[in-house]
Amino acid sequence: MPYIDVQGLTKTFTVRKKRDGHLLREKSTVCALDHVSFQVEQGELLGYIGPNGAGKSTTVKLLCGILTADDGTVTVGGLIPWQSRKQHAQSIGVVFGQRSQLWWDVPVIDSYQLLRDIYRVPGQKYQKRLCELTDALALGDFLHTPLRLLSLGQRMRAELGGSLLHSPKLLFLDEPTIGLDAVSKLQLRDFLLSENHAHGTTIMLTTHDMEDISALCRRVLVLGHGKKLFDGELPALLARYDTMRTLRVRYAGEITLSALPESVQISRDGDFYVLAYPQQQVPTDHILSLLQSAGPIAELTLHERSMDRMIADMYQEMAL
Amino acid sequence: MINSLCLYFKSCRMLIRSQMQYRASFLMQTFTQLVMMVTELLAVLILMDRFSVLGQWNRGEILFFFGVISTSFYLCECFARGITQFPPLIAQGDLDSMLIRPRGVLFQVICSRADPRRFGAILIGVLALILGSVSAQIHWTSFKMLLLIWTILGGMALVCGLFLIEATLSFFSVKRIELVNILTYGGRSTCQYPIDIYPRGLQLLFTLVAPFALTTHLPTAYILDKPLWGAGAGWSLLAPLSGFAFLGLMTFVFYRGLRRYRSTGS
Repeated sequence: MPYIDVQGLTKTFTVRKKRDGHLLREKSTVCALDHVSFQVEQGELLGYIGPNGAGKSTTVKLLCGILTADDGTVTVGGLIPWQSRKQHAQSIGVVFGQRSQLWWDVPVIDSYQLLRDIYRVPGQKYQKRLCELTDALALGDFLHTPLRLLSLGQRMRAELGGSLLHSPKLLFLDEPTIGLDAVSKLQLRDFLLSENHAHGTTIMLTTHDMEDISALCRRVLVLGHGKKLFDGELPALLARYDTMRTLRVRYAGEITLSALPESVQISRDGDFYVLAYPQQQVPTDHILSLLQSAGPIAELTLHERSMDRMIADMYQEMAL
Repeated sequence: MINSLCLYFKSCRMLIRSQMQYRASFLMQTFTQLVMMVTELLAVLILMDRFSVLGQWNRGEILFFFGVISTSFYLCECFARGITQFPPLIAQGDLDSMLIRPRGVLFQVICSRADPRRFGAILIGVLALILGSVSAQIHWTSFKMLLLIWTILGGMALVCGLFLIEATLSFFSVKRIELVNILTYGGRSTCQYPIDIYPRGLQLLFTLVAPFALTTHLPTAYILDKPLWGAGAGWSLLAPLSGFAFLGLMTFVFYRGLRRYRSTGS
């Protein structure tokens, strides 16, 4: 039996809209999730993506037990989150990138001690876990500093440490790298991978940062307008949208480019010619031989499409 | 239970530490609270100086009533501050954080705030109790002592329950509903004086709807040897239970409301 089992999950919200010139508000329902089903095995790293308002947060809130489903079933480790809320809470950790779970005005270590009491972590286990997390997340420098004085990167690490103190089996991350610098991002990813390896923690990652996804998750789930659009491996998803290649070329002397296939778009950027072509119709070696025959090449670079572009195309095609 | 109490006191210690980060502001606010309470007490003293009796009650007895309500109201505000601060808790999404922790929601709400600034107000309430007791020449017995403590606890439960009404309403509307203040703050101000000086409508309101009179006035009158509505020792001992019953009912309603909770934003 899979660790997380979601079947036909549906959640609607009632929204009251104010109409112009009317005193009474109009009632309408918005379907945040529409019969979504998926399974996650223990120890899996799952990326959960979709444009804003797709229903990602709603799913996470349902899986955490914050919200109650209107229809469908959810079990996490055999429990229904909103029915066995307290028992379920003991085995999950949640990090909301934009909302702090630690106490703002007190040193991080004080927050940790309170979390220890809230989750009833035994003393010895807590000490061991704290040492482990302090090492892995390099918390040592600011463990005794109030949270409000920390930088964003430090705060994120502190939050992550706090959410893992009770060694949860399942970790939800909502935009964990938002606003972090490159070094902090890389450190955070390394940490998540090692945590997943060492403890078999199942991690569900919600983000708009595609690099996070490609670095951490083999499997992605795409959600749009409350419906599941894709569930599978990231490369398979990208292959569908990875159609265009871009080539930048500079010649030693002045030449004229001619006789290129029609589907190639050419533009100029200073000394460079920039060529964009669909690689399935026009093979790269064909383009290269055409370019070489045109004159002596001084410099040439070939670019893949950026992942963000592909995702943007995908969202567009799926009419999101 | 003991574990929870422990956690509550640890939470309080941390909240006080947090507030001590802004020491000047904390001291100023404590001072303001104290001044406000002293003014309230002076109002009673001046009033009684002028009229010396109010209905069947003399100055000491009125002071004693004032002390009972004030002490229980401000004790409740001090320790269950989180409940009065519940609407912003929803608006800022803190309730979500509470729902993902393995503890009761209401317990965490209470742990999330404590208001040590009310200590001044509580002190004034106790002072009024002592002054009133001396002035009214109460014959204290151990039964009466216990009854007083029981009454104050019942009053605290009642005020807690009243604050829960507003908390529950905030599940349905983001705006604060001032109407409920009639029962809470209005109830406190009204019932600082014994209920039988008021017209029938008010008496019914604060005996049956927000049962301040039932929970606190009945036993207080017994302590002062002037039983209200002919209530003896037995009824006086039972009366504070109404406060706990009210709290129980409101807790039930609160958890029903929680099911309808839809959290804010993403």
